[in-house]
Amino acid sequence: MFTVSLTPYQIAAPIFSLFALAYAWNLVLRQKKTIWEACFWSIFWGAVALIALYPSALSYLSAATGIADQENAVLVTFLGILFFMVFYLVIRLEELEQRHTKVVRMLALRDAKLEKAKEHQ
Amino acid sequence: MRHFSASNCYASPVIIAVIPAYNEASRITQVIEHARVFVDRVIVVDDGSTDGTGETAERAGAFVVQHIQNSGAGAATMTGIEAARVLGARIIITLDADGQHDPKDIPLLLNPVKEDKADIVFANRFGQRNRIPFVRRIFNGIGNVVTLLATGKWVADSQSGFKVLGPKAVDQIDLRMSGFEFCTEIVREVVQHRWRVLEVPTKVLYSDYTLAKGQSFAGGVKTALRILLRSFLR
Repeated sequence: MFTVSLTPYQIAAPIFSLFALAYAWNLVLRQKKTIWEACFWSIFWGAVALIALYPSALSYLSAATGIADQENAVLVTFLGILFFMVFYLVIRLEELEQRHTKVVRMLALRDAKLEKAKEHQ
Repeated sequence: MRHFSASNCYASPVIIAVIPAYNEASRITQVIEHARVFVDRVIVVDDGSTDGTGETAERAGAFVVQHIQNSGAGAATMTGIEAARVLGARIIITLDADGQHDPKDIPLLLNPVKEDKADIVFANRFGQRNRIPFVRRIFNGIGNVVTLLATGKWVADSQSGFKVLGPKAVDQIDLRMSGFEFCTEIVREVVQHRWRVLEVPTKVLYSDYTLAKGQSFAGGVKTALRILLRSFLR
């Protein structure tokens, strides 16, 4: 009889990906995300699920990058963590900039006595 | 605030020109005077200028909204759109403050919206014979490709600041990007809200002044990265 043994990660990652995909396409239905953006996310979460279920898919990456031993893997992992931290900081900066711009814009409209603009927000 | 129903909004819609301006004191008067011929009101959003652009615009008869700090063309445009909404605009025309657009093209852009053939009209500087520097053509081409990647929609002159928004677009538009990337965000709004689009070939008047005011290569790269990052994060 054919049996498949899956690790907890291999079960959790595809389920999480499925939820993330459902959420992304739900945002499309609610007109908060475009189909194009949902396609981006579908590719990303699809890849996460695929790699979890078929880790051998990464063997091509291993061949291309030469990361085969544990020391290299640790180095790449730390690079990945650093990349994530930079990504997170960029997002936070973007948010702060948006908040700042919003304050500048609200002040401008208030000074021009156009506070009805709030109704549109 | 005036309210319009679908049946009467084309009878005499309030048309407002929104001009985001940053340090354009030497040009803004002429732009306002030319635009005023075709619209009911002109709103200038002084984006934290230090050369008296706001005062000059006010003297020229524009309604001026002032940002206390320079926040970018996108932020200034959205402030102008919000101000125009409060002032009852049903059609909004946006144009650059540096005088690169020929105001005589305004009716050409307005007509499709007035005739209910489009929700948004983009000016297309490349649709007719214009003397556009090669570097500028390359930059705009890259901008179009980045816009296509981020939104899935091709617009021949996605980075032009010369546009007309019809009643549907005026009600629905919500720009969050503060810099030049707002041009791409408008195309995203087109896709998201399924606005009817028309592109109209227009004249462009490039000079040393307008070329110096445009984005640098480094600025363009930064803008492109922000567009792609934002489209992924949304």
